[in-house]
Amino acid sequence: MPDPQPTPIRPRTRDAILQSLRAGVVPKRGLEHIQVGRAREVEALVGDVERIADGGAALRFVIGEYGSGKTFFLHLVRSIALERRLVTAHADLTPDRRLQASGGQARALYSQLMRNLATRSKPDGGALPGLVERFITGALKEADERGISPGEAIEERLAKLSEMVGGYDFAQVIDAYWRGHDTGNEELKSDAVRWLRGEYGTKTEARLALGVRVIVDDGTVYEHLKLMACFCRLAGYEGLLVGVDEMVNLYKLANGRARKANYERLLAILNDSLQGQTEGLGFLFAGTPEFLTDTRRGLFSYPALESRLGENTFAHGDLVDFSGPVLRLANLTPEELFVLLRNVRHVHAGGDEELYALPDEGLEAFMEHCNEVIGAAYFRTPRSTVRSFVNLLAVLEQNPGADWRALVSETDLAEERNPDLAPLEEDAQEGAEDEGDDLTSFSL
Amino acid sequence: MSTSPGYERLHPRVQRWCFAQGWRALRDVQERAVGPILAAKGDLILAAATAAGKTEAAFLPITTHLLNEPAEGLRVLCVSPLKALINDQHRRLEELCGAAGIDVHRWHGDVGESAKCEVLEQPRGVLLITPESLEALFVLRGTRVPELFGSLAYVVVDELHAFLGTDRGRQLQSLLHRLELVARRRLPRVGLSATLGDRSLAAGFLRPEEPSRVEVIEGDAGEQRLKLRLYARDGPDAERSIAEHLLDELRGADHLVFANSRREVELFAAHLRGMCEARRVPNEFFPHHGSLSRSLREEAESALRDDSAPRTVICTSTLELGIDLGQVTSVAQLGAPPSVASLRQRLGRSGRRGGPAILRFYLRLREPAGEAPLQDRLCEELVASAAMVELLLEGWCESPAENALALSTLLQQVLSVVAQHSGATADELYGALCHRGPFAAVDASTFAALLRAMGERDLLVQESSGALLPGLAGERLIDDYHFFAVFDTPEEYRVLHGGRELGSVPLHGAVVIGSGLIFGGSYWRVTGADEARRELFVTEGQAGDPPLFSGGRGEVAGGVRQRMRGVLEEDGPRDWLDASANRLLGEARRVYRELELDRRAVVGDGGDALFLPWAGDRALRTLAVALGARGARVSQEGMALRVERSQEAELWALLGDLESDGLGEPHELAATVALRRQAKYDELLDEELSIRDYASRALDVPGALRALRAALEGASS
Repeated sequence: MPDPQPTPIRPRTRDAILQSLRAGVVPKRGLEHIQVGRAREVEALVGDVERIADGGAALRFVIGEYGSGKTFFLHLVRSIALERRLVTAHADLTPDRRLQASGGQARALYSQLMRNLATRSKPDGGALPGLVERFITGALKEADERGISPGEAIEERLAKLSEMVGGYDFAQVIDAYWRGHDTGNEELKSDAVRWLRGEYGTKTEARLALGVRVIVDDGTVYEHLKLMACFCRLAGYEGLLVGVDEMVNLYKLANGRARKANYERLLAILNDSLQGQTEGLGFLFAGTPEFLTDTRRGLFSYPALESRLGENTFAHGDLVDFSGPVLRLANLTPEELFVLLRNVRHVHAGGDEELYALPDEGLEAFMEHCNEVIGAAYFRTPRSTVRSFVNLLAVLEQNPGADWRALVSETDLAEERNPDLAPLEEDAQEGAEDEGDDLTSFSL
Repeated sequence: MSTSPGYERLHPRVQRWCFAQGWRALRDVQERAVGPILAAKGDLILAAATAAGKTEAAFLPITTHLLNEPAEGLRVLCVSPLKALINDQHRRLEELCGAAGIDVHRWHGDVGESAKCEVLEQPRGVLLITPESLEALFVLRGTRVPELFGSLAYVVVDELHAFLGTDRGRQLQSLLHRLELVARRRLPRVGLSATLGDRSLAAGFLRPEEPSRVEVIEGDAGEQRLKLRLYARDGPDAERSIAEHLLDELRGADHLVFANSRREVELFAAHLRGMCEARRVPNEFFPHHGSLSRSLREEAESALRDDSAPRTVICTSTLELGIDLGQVTSVAQLGAPPSVASLRQRLGRSGRRGGPAILRFYLRLREPAGEAPLQDRLCEELVASAAMVELLLEGWCESPAENALALSTLLQQVLSVVAQHSGATADELYGALCHRGPFAAVDASTFAALLRAMGERDLLVQESSGALLPGLAGERLIDDYHFFAVFDTPEEYRVLHGGRELGSVPLHGAVVIGSGLIFGGSYWRVTGADEARRELFVTEGQAGDPPLFSGGRGEVAGGVRQRMRGVLEEDGPRDWLDASANRLLGEARRVYRELELDRRAVVGDGGDALFLPWAGDRALRTLAVALGARGARVSQEGMALRVERSQEAELWALLGDLESDGLGEPHELAATVALRRQAKYDELLDEELSIRDYASRALDVPGALRALRAALEGASS
């Protein structure tokens, strides 16, 4: 493993990275400073991004254990896609955000995706208005060049959209935006953007505001993603990459019918993608191994999905196949984790080796401590390990005299807990330490 | 409207409303509730008789608080045991809160989807809800719950006494606790209750973590005149004769007639209707019980409220709770009441607004011939009625029974929390439900055993992160709306005699294999049971009790049995008993003296021996199980235990042994009981858990030992 580059790291980037790691989330910027390993997986996904940019389709299930770095990986691929001039959209599934639903949960997912729509110049999301604006200016420029009216140029560009399912209304909305643009009607513009974000709850509302008969609803989310992908290309981008994280929430749905409906939707998306029915649209779905392989409630409980996602039986042991729709994230090795910790230390020191909070020896001691407390699998779930490490660095920084040896062995590696199930403070204080039996390591 | 310190503190709009009601002053409870509720900090119980204005006592200051400190969202959640009560409260609160511009919503199984959507879209004001609907909100809309209930200022529990000591009460406690977990703070709880037997139990129910900090305001009972009469009828025509008496006495005004079973309600309603038809007069008698459709029930309720035509409603305990029915001239009770607490509730229905409370008892008694069973010769029902009336007049009231573990309810709550949060770890579940929660009596190892039992039955599965999720069987359970209720929608056992089906009976309490049963007019003996298939096998027998049909009476308390003994030991007629009742009472006392029951607790009866320790049902059951464990063939017959094929002396010796050896650990005793299933999900527990649960719920070893010692001491003196 190469040593971290002795490049200085800007304080803003440093703080953003550390803050995110400490909260157990993936930093929005500066991924390159901490990224380790998984070179072949990244390579495979770069291929996907290329295919989307060429007007093709791509779909991957990114499968890895809790805390193994799926989200990190998704962000990494996203930043690659943005560099390649793709538009990206990402969202976490939650019980209230699903692929398929009847109570507004699918529309909620769509809205979240659209709020997080990102481009290279707006990598943190909120790029939808800019995207539409860019489409309009592109059309205006073309009209100017070709000496036709802007209306004609826009109509020509929208013709392709109108041919697609639901495209007529989509085109109407873009047209409404153009009218707003043309007449200085800001309200009309913002209504159009609101429609594109799937924020209209009723058709009546949408008709009054924009004169369209349909809205983005639970049943049409996928159609609208396809339309949006097409629109991205019309606006001058190369395509759309949709990243959906926390797919395990489908596995966790307590209602069997709801689960099946979502898996059916996934199958439709998968079929379209495998058959090349979509243009310039790619999907990344990240989930845990049981979300994929559990035959009772995972994707494999749905036979059609199992046969399509069953892994290449020749790829086992050290043999790998990165061409199938399922991409298993290889575990980090202890060596890779060591490099990761070194990278984090490097970021923490702002890139200045002189300011390292503890020596390499300390990193080893920390890993040893993790091994003792969590067990040998600690390096497979870097999230909690890195979070604890950042906490340790923070303490060392604020207590310059403190000895890292003492602190390392005290580092708390507690699992995250659902705060809504924790006892209330009044109650917790009264009887904190009267527990005999330990349920923290309970297993059925 | 005269002012008072409490009245002064109410918001002017609330004061105006009081004035518009034509009130002269706040009532005692109302006056005293203002301060503690406005403080909106601790918990409070308002205990007063029916129609003492408890609802207003709570909502005058609550409305004032909402007006003084307006905020977005739902502000008050009022949990109520019955849909009918909610409809009634809704009607009343809409006037009060409406005058203050505060919305009142209701939410239960009969409320339409659009009304519910309105609450979900714009949650605000007061929400009236049943525990089951609240459970459904947690399960089906778990992610919405924090936002829905985050801004609550109060949680009101209506008819608190109806929840005490029941599984449903435990579910409610759990839901109240879970509300506070999602709100991330304690919510002031206001309990509205009928007159309480034991304040500390009610306080412990409302705030298990800190009962001592619950303030209890008990209403001034005030002097109420009571007119009481008991009519005893015997012979084959007893039923008809009672119906005729009811018809003559009750026609022309509004009354309530309480019967102890649904079957009785239908029976008398049909009788009375037939008689009205025969006499060519309009029928004024209508039935009301839980199995009737909503529209029929509401028809009967509104007929009572309507002053234009006289109505008598014959009902089970469904109308015992405080639905506002307007004035009822009198109350009649068919058979002995289930308990003193329930008698008090029923009596509270009569004599509102100054008039005397009128209570008529009707008992069907068998003329105690020499051959009759001892309980009949002792006129158990008459003596129990007399004892309960005496206790009522003295202000005594049963304490609700304890059910420490309530594992069936815990099982439901585990699934519910798991569904609410889309998975939770064992540790989180234990922290939320048991450790300082509503199931504090369940220790970590029992809890772990429960989770494993649930895992074995595919109710739960574990995900690699450690989170527990509903298994496929758990999903099926949750998916059914019956899941939201902890009480069983009556599921019955089929009674089989040699492969022939005799019918079905709901089972309550222990059925010891070998015990007697009356069914279809014949005597049977239970020879075995298949709990999973819900089958009970019987063979011809000579003795037994009829099955208690669904919703049957609860346990009789020890205090009542003791007082029954007192009634039998006294002399002289009671002036509120009619002539034949007094004659029968005299007869019963003679039998009591002749058998020297004042000191002998064992009586020979044919080839059997009867044991009468004058103990409550739980202690009696414990003694039955302990005797059964020693090889005796025991069945409970009302207040007595029948030990088959036993001589008096034999039974005395057995009782002596039992006393000297001790009854045994509750756990050991529970293990010998064949059918332990009682609560809804008991059948999903494994053997060991079911034993632990039964021991905590159904047995009273110290009480049984006390009764046993008293019986033995009586004999030796």
